[in-house]
Formats: sequence, C-alpha cells, structure tokens
Amino acid sequence: MGPDPDAALMLAFQRGDDGAFRSLYERHARAMVAFCHHFLRDAARAEELAQDVFVNVYRARDRYQPSARFKTFLYRVASNLCLNELRRPERAARPAPAPEDAPPALDQLASPGPDPEDVARGRALERAVERMLAGLPEKQRAALVLCRFEGLSYEEIAQVLDATVPAVKSLIHRATVAAAAALAPFQSPAPEEALS
Amino acid sequence: MIHPTDELTALLDDALPAAQAEAVRAHLAACPACRAEQARLQGAVALLSALPPAPEPSPFFGARLEARLRAEAAAPRGLRARLAAWRWQVVLPLAGAVAAAGVALAVGLHHPRNPEDGLFAANLELLEDYDTASAVGVDEPEDVLVVAQLDRLERREGRP
Repeated sequence: MGPDPDAALMLAFQRGDDGAFRSLYERHARAMVAFCHHFLRDAARAEELAQDVFVNVYRARDRYQPSARFKTFLYRVASNLCLNELRRPERAARPAPAPEDAPPALDQLASPGPDPEDVARGRALERAVERMLAGLPEKQRAALVLCRFEGLSYEEIAQVLDATVPAVKSLIHRATVAAAAALAPFQSPAPEEALS
Repeated sequence: MIHPTDELTALLDDALPAAQAEAVRAHLAACPACRAEQARLQGAVALLSALPPAPEPSPFFGARLEARLRAEAAAPRGLRARLAAWRWQVVLPLAGAVAAAGVALAVGLHHPRNPEDGLFAANLELLEDYDTASAVGVDEPEDVLVVAQLDRLERREGRP
C-alpha cells in the first residue's frame, strides 16, 4: 500500500489542523453523497447521511489509526450508517416501488437523447434496480453497491465490510445473479441458451 | 463437467488469480451454457452501469456541514465529558431527590410522638406534612422539615 494522502490529512487533523479536515470532506463529499444515494436510492436522505459520515469521523478523530486507507475507513462508516438507516422501522415498512408495465430492451436503453421514451425507460430501470436492491440481504446489497457503483476492489470491500475476500466474492456473485434475474426484462435476448 | 458458475462474476470483475482466470476462460471456450450465463451476468453489470449518475451534493452541503462541525466543536467531547455535561440536568436533581428522601426519613425516625410506630407510619405522617407543605406552596426539603416541626409543636400545645 503506497502513501495515503488522506490518512496524512486525518493525522494532521488529529494534531489540531481543522483545515486538513476541510480538505478531507471537500475531497470525499461527492463520493459519500453518491454512495449513500446508491445504497438508499433516496437523494434527500443520502445527503444527510453523507454529512453524518463526516460528523462521525470528526467525533472519532482521536481513535483513528491509519491501519487502512482513509477511503476504506470512510466507506466503512458510511456503510454502517446506511445499514442502520435500512433497519429503521419506518424505512423497513416502506413499500418497494411498483414495477413498470413494459420494460425496454438494453439496446433501446443505450440510445441517448432527450426522447421522453428514453427518459421513461431510464426511470423504469432505476425502479427495477431499487426493487432489486430492496430485496437483497444487507451484506449483498452493500457489497454490490460498493463494487458496481463505487468501483471498489474485492479487497477494499472486504476491509469495508470486515469480511474475507472469498466471502466478498460470494456476496458479489450472488447479488449479481439476483440483479441479472431482476433486470432480465431489460436485457437484449442472449445469443446462446441459458445454463440449464 | 463441473461448471465454474461461482467464478463467472469474479472473472468479469478481473478479481480471479491469473491461473484460475485462465482455467475459467478455457472452460468458457468449451461450454455454451456457461458462456450464456456469463453473458447474462455481463448484461446485468452493463445495465447497472447505465444508470444515471448520483446527484451532486447540494450547494449548501459544505455550509451545513460546517455548521454541524462548529456545534460539535462547541460540545463536550467523549463519554466522560458528556456525562459531566448531563450532571447539571440529571445528576443534581436526582441527588436533590435523594437528599429530600433522606430528610424525610430522618424526620420520620426522630418524630417524638410515636417512636414505636415504625418507619412506615412515620413516613406516612411525613407525607401528610409534605401534603400540607405542598398545599401552601412549600416544596424545598428544608421547608418541609420546618413545616413538620411546626405541625408537631401545634399538636403538643393542643391546637387543632
């Protein structure tokens, strides 16, 4: 692992440099808002939780140790906050979005443009992904979001979720299989027969 | 033939050791079913990548966070400090209540008229005194004690 400039900033913050903390949140605010949005599919709550991430880091500054990359540490805090959010009774009771009537094929989705049909297809896909995520077990959901939306490696995800790399591999595979099943109506027909 | 279906996602993510990846690729070359499954997984990954990007943080994100951090900086840090802060709201009133109970107990135990009645009866009497005190708007433990003494003197002197 090479030198981690974020860890250096965090250590500077521990020594009382508030500007270092400002640099940290300026560097990572967008990523944290995006992660919370991808995890919860709730833009307003995502921003609040992203703020909570930095407030928690601020509070825990004395306990921070640069044993892992700062980004991993940040995603760990964010994952825990998002998982806690999912466990809130009022959110757990929230119904999943209703399915769309006519999901479009993948090649139709790929065509960009302001066509209202494209916009509607994009929304239909978003709702299908939201339903799919809502149906996943918590750890699979976290692993899928970290992998597919945040681009973390399996090793980084293992650190974030406090799991082994083989466990993460299994989580991501099962979640991707679930995604393939849930999003099948959006896919173009496969050229070969599916595995029987 | 054993299908390496559990490895197909890791292969797509380039997360397999080189030798294992090579073995899975060799299997895929000979197995149409696994190729179809891999295409299905790859399609799902592509769909997830096709989602619109997450919204940007609002223009007020930094200002709101700064405000919260200023509040954090002004707040006491750590459990011990927080407990110290709560002391004035929780511990002192609690201590006051305990002290009041102690005063009540002492008055009851040293009540001269009926020392044989025991603790319960003495406390009942004190409660009556306390009711009297409350009725005239006296609620400090010391005042309750004074009211109790006055009440006792009145009874000794035969006043109603």
